Amino acid sequence: MPNKILRTEKLCKTFSTGGNQQHVLKNLDLEIPEGDFTVIMGSSGSGKSTLLYALSGMDKPTLGEIYFDGKNITRYTEDQLAVFRRTHCGFVFQQTHLLDHMSLMDNVLASGLLMNRNRRALTAKAEQLLTQVGLPASSWGKFPSQLSGGEAQRAGMVRACINDPLVLFADEPTGALNSASSDSVLDVMTGMNRGGQSIVMVTHDVRTALRGSRILYLRDGTIYGDLTLGAFQDEQDGGRRERLNEFLAEMGW
Amino acid sequence: MGDGGRDSTNFWPKWGGKLNVLNPASYHYKKSKSTAVFLFILIMIAGLLMNLGLSSLTDMDGFYADKVRELHDPHVSITMNSASYKAAYRDFLSSYPGVQEVETERVILLSSATIPFYKYDLGYGIRTMVLDADAARNIAPVKLIEAASIEYKDGIYIPYTLKVRGGYELGDNFPVTYRDKQYTYRVAGFFESTLMGTPKLDMLKLYLSQASYLQLSKDAGPAAQGTLMSAILTDSEQSGTLLMDYYRAFPQSNETVIPGFWAADTHMAEDGGAFIVYFVSLILVVFAAVMVLVSLLVIKFRVTDRIETGMVGIGVLKAMGYTRLQIVFMYVVPFIWLAFAASVAGVAVSCAVMPLYGNMVSALAGLVWNGSAHAVFTLACVGMVTFLVFAVAYLSAAPIYRLHPVEALRGGIKSHNFKRNYLPLSRTRGGVHWLLACKTTLAAGRQNLLLGCIMAAVTFASVFSVILYYNTAMDKTALFRMLGSETPDVGIQVESGVDSLQLLAAIRQMAGVNKAILMESIPTVIQGQNVSTEIIDQFEYMDNQTVYEGRYPLYDNEIAVTGKLAGLLGKTIGDSIKVEAVNGSYIYLITGLNQSFSAEGKGASLTLTGVNHLIPGLKGMSINVYLQEGSKTAFMQEVQAEYGNLIRSLTDVNESKESGTQVYGSALLAVMTVILSISVLVVVLILFLVIKTSILKRRRDVGILKVAGYTSFQLIAQLTLSIIPVTIAGVVAGGALGALYTNAILELLLADAGISRVRFIVPMPYIAMLCTVIVAFSCLVSLFVARRIKGVTPYVLITE
Repeated sequence: MPNKILRTEKLCKTFSTGGNQQHVLKNLDLEIPEGDFTVIMGSSGSGKSTLLYALSGMDKPTLGEIYFDGKNITRYTEDQLAVFRRTHCGFVFQQTHLLDHMSLMDNVLASGLLMNRNRRALTAKAEQLLTQVGLPASSWGKFPSQLSGGEAQRAGMVRACINDPLVLFADEPTGALNSASSDSVLDVMTGMNRGGQSIVMVTHDVRTALRGSRILYLRDGTIYGDLTLGAFQDEQDGGRRERLNEFLAEMGW
Repeated sequence: MGDGGRDSTNFWPKWGGKLNVLNPASYHYKKSKSTAVFLFILIMIAGLLMNLGLSSLTDMDGFYADKVRELHDPHVSITMNSASYKAAYRDFLSSYPGVQEVETERVILLSSATIPFYKYDLGYGIRTMVLDADAARNIAPVKLIEAASIEYKDGIYIPYTLKVRGGYELGDNFPVTYRDKQYTYRVAGFFESTLMGTPKLDMLKLYLSQASYLQLSKDAGPAAQGTLMSAILTDSEQSGTLLMDYYRAFPQSNETVIPGFWAADTHMAEDGGAFIVYFVSLILVVFAAVMVLVSLLVIKFRVTDRIETGMVGIGVLKAMGYTRLQIVFMYVVPFIWLAFAASVAGVAVSCAVMPLYGNMVSALAGLVWNGSAHAVFTLACVGMVTFLVFAVAYLSAAPIYRLHPVEALRGGIKSHNFKRNYLPLSRTRGGVHWLLACKTTLAAGRQNLLLGCIMAAVTFASVFSVILYYNTAMDKTALFRMLGSETPDVGIQVESGVDSLQLLAAIRQMAGVNKAILMESIPTVIQGQNVSTEIIDQFEYMDNQTVYEGRYPLYDNEIAVTGKLAGLLGKTIGDSIKVEAVNGSYIYLITGLNQSFSAEGKGASLTLTGVNHLIPGLKGMSINVYLQEGSKTAFMQEVQAEYGNLIRSLTDVNESKESGTQVYGSALLAVMTVILSISVLVVVLILFLVIKTSILKRRRDVGILKVAGYTSFQLIAQLTLSIIPVTIAGVVAGGALGALYTNAILELLLADAGISRVRFIVPMPYIAMLCTVIVAFSCLVSLFVARRIKGVTPYVLITE
């Protein structure tokens, strides 16, 4: 039985706007095992991203508890959460969010050096990861504005993984990419997961969701459906696509 | 916008009939309140200082002439011992063309009374004239500014200077020591006098009630009985000429021949009194100009920044059909309104503080100064500042003209044309926070240039004011040197009729005397210019070697002239000039150029043998004594005991000069305080503006770094570290410029006053301390303002 890397108890998140209260997450209980590739799906406003950011310590829940690797992170201060993120989490965003005034390599190292690692070893690791994701040495000195969307996203993934996070959080990582770029990014993520990397990803794209080993469907702030797909081999593997389609149809997708 | 096309000649329909220019202004103020407040304060201060400075500069122009008219003061005053007085002197004045009124009256001349110029002071020797307050007179009647409500039996009326500078109040005791006897009076009132209201012209006027006057007259004896002649001219410009012609007509008019002789005219008073006011006003105007420059830099920065960040908005407006001019004006109009309102507020405040400034001017000039703002300058200040702001904002917004709508909608052409990846993290040594801070510094070039320039400007202004203050209040050596004023330890005025050369030789032999020189000053005319000529027996003994080119005269046919006079005459070293004095003329060879502050900078220096070509037998009646350390009091007592009968007065020159220049120190202390306070304000505001803008622009970057695990404190430190190198560079540049160029700027400012060379001491420890304080203060302000980073959460990446 794999270790539960993430667990929530009665997780609630409420936003107040102009006097109106919007309950985005409602008493949500969830467990994510280590090494899993969990995909969170749901319609717009269902609370997918809110859940992702709460799980990753980027946002604090209104009520409830979050346990990360057995530790309750709910009451961490902002600075404690910062240390927690740098030590345990990696993030990939839809908009890549690379620092414009830094080269690709510097974007990666800016995260890595925060852990006070040996600079030479860190650089070697960054070079290895960048090569692994298909970014040639000629691109390492380029600035984000000089990279294609796929290149930038792969660089973002290397940045996310440079500190060997326990969990890689991805928010619509292929949302702004064409299909070729999407495939290359998803291949990288799948490869990582095969290597034992826990991933929690939010997406609304069915093809992207197929890469997950488990699909959670959110509706009105609660987990409405939970589908176990198993490890990804290929898109047609064991009727994977059909099972997902059926599940989504059931969910009212 | 469709309506706009119907009548293209009508301006408002062209604006679509919908766009109110106030709308973008109010939108702008709401969006960037801190910039608006910063600029408002800065422009208001600039308007305030500029209006004060320009108004007082203008008022000082006619101030003395108006004051003479108001007080019915004489344009020329001549006094002498009554025994030497002749009716011919008065007749000369009466018959002189342009003389409107002449009056003669008996006075008491205390050749050297010791009075405490500053209340609670021990007092120093000032030549004093005492008049009968109850006597009838037309010229310079007693007009009291302030009078005691009760009549004192021993009442004395003293010059207004003694109130504003000396600190006297009505009813205070006022001791006058003459020939070792002390007379104590009660201050019964204050009056103004253009010629004898301050010690500048070496004569202070006092009024006693008739009974006290008669008593003092009796005590002082016949030697102190003097006659005062006063003349009022139709044209005050003639006052210098009248006095010069008087000297020509009566060549014996000097203290050597006529005991108690003293003469002064309005020009002489104006030279001394107006200078410091002129100087202070000029500093205010220059500082106001620095403030305007800072404002313009900020406006340029803000407009460019707003265009860059609002590029898509511009594209939308263009797509909607707004014309380029309309969009440009959306960026320009807010600044015009702001500049107009701030400069109006500034001149309004200047009108309110004018009385306070007037008090300072009154203290400097020794006369009541009721300066007021001039409508012309007020309008000029507002108009000029508003126009400059319009011009800079318009030019900064001009790139909008060249911006294509599609290009704008795509966020403009990205200018991320990074040629080099500075400080790559993989190869550069140093902590990650420091390296990231340096990268931020290098990435924000324009902002840092603005910050650096402003820090340099305020540091320069601060250093300038500190140097001025140091040299006018803490170590006055360079001030005296600049003014061409000698600073001996003791000054001896030789009694009329005494052989001063013999006394000089005797003094030089006394124990403790380092050196002694004989000095005199006579009026001369060189090619139509009235020149104050100093006579020194041995120039090499002078402490203040004011000759900056060539050398002092050595032989009787040589002369040194001031650089200003040489410029006016078109002469230089090696040329010959004809010098005219009261009863002769002679051609001298120019051997050197020096500087002097007296007689509008028109001065000359002759040897004692040289002056005999002009005034045979002139020896000079002042001896400057320079002592070895620690022997002053004993020396003065010894001189008094040994040569008391040959000496008219004995003065502790250091002390009297210290007291005399104290007012300059006070004025410049006020100026320094104002400049330093405004500098602090500007530093706080600019750092607030830059850091706040930086955080706003880098919200996404801050969010990314927070996601990566950087804590708020680490990011605050990074931001502060990114600002500090620029701050240090600006402060060092400003400090260096101030240290290197303050003297050059002063030379430029004082050129008109006859000062060609300024060598003020640059107190490096103070400047280093000031720069360190500015940098430390900037660090603290930066850390404080950068705390706003705490408010930026990683969530910003989702919500923005």
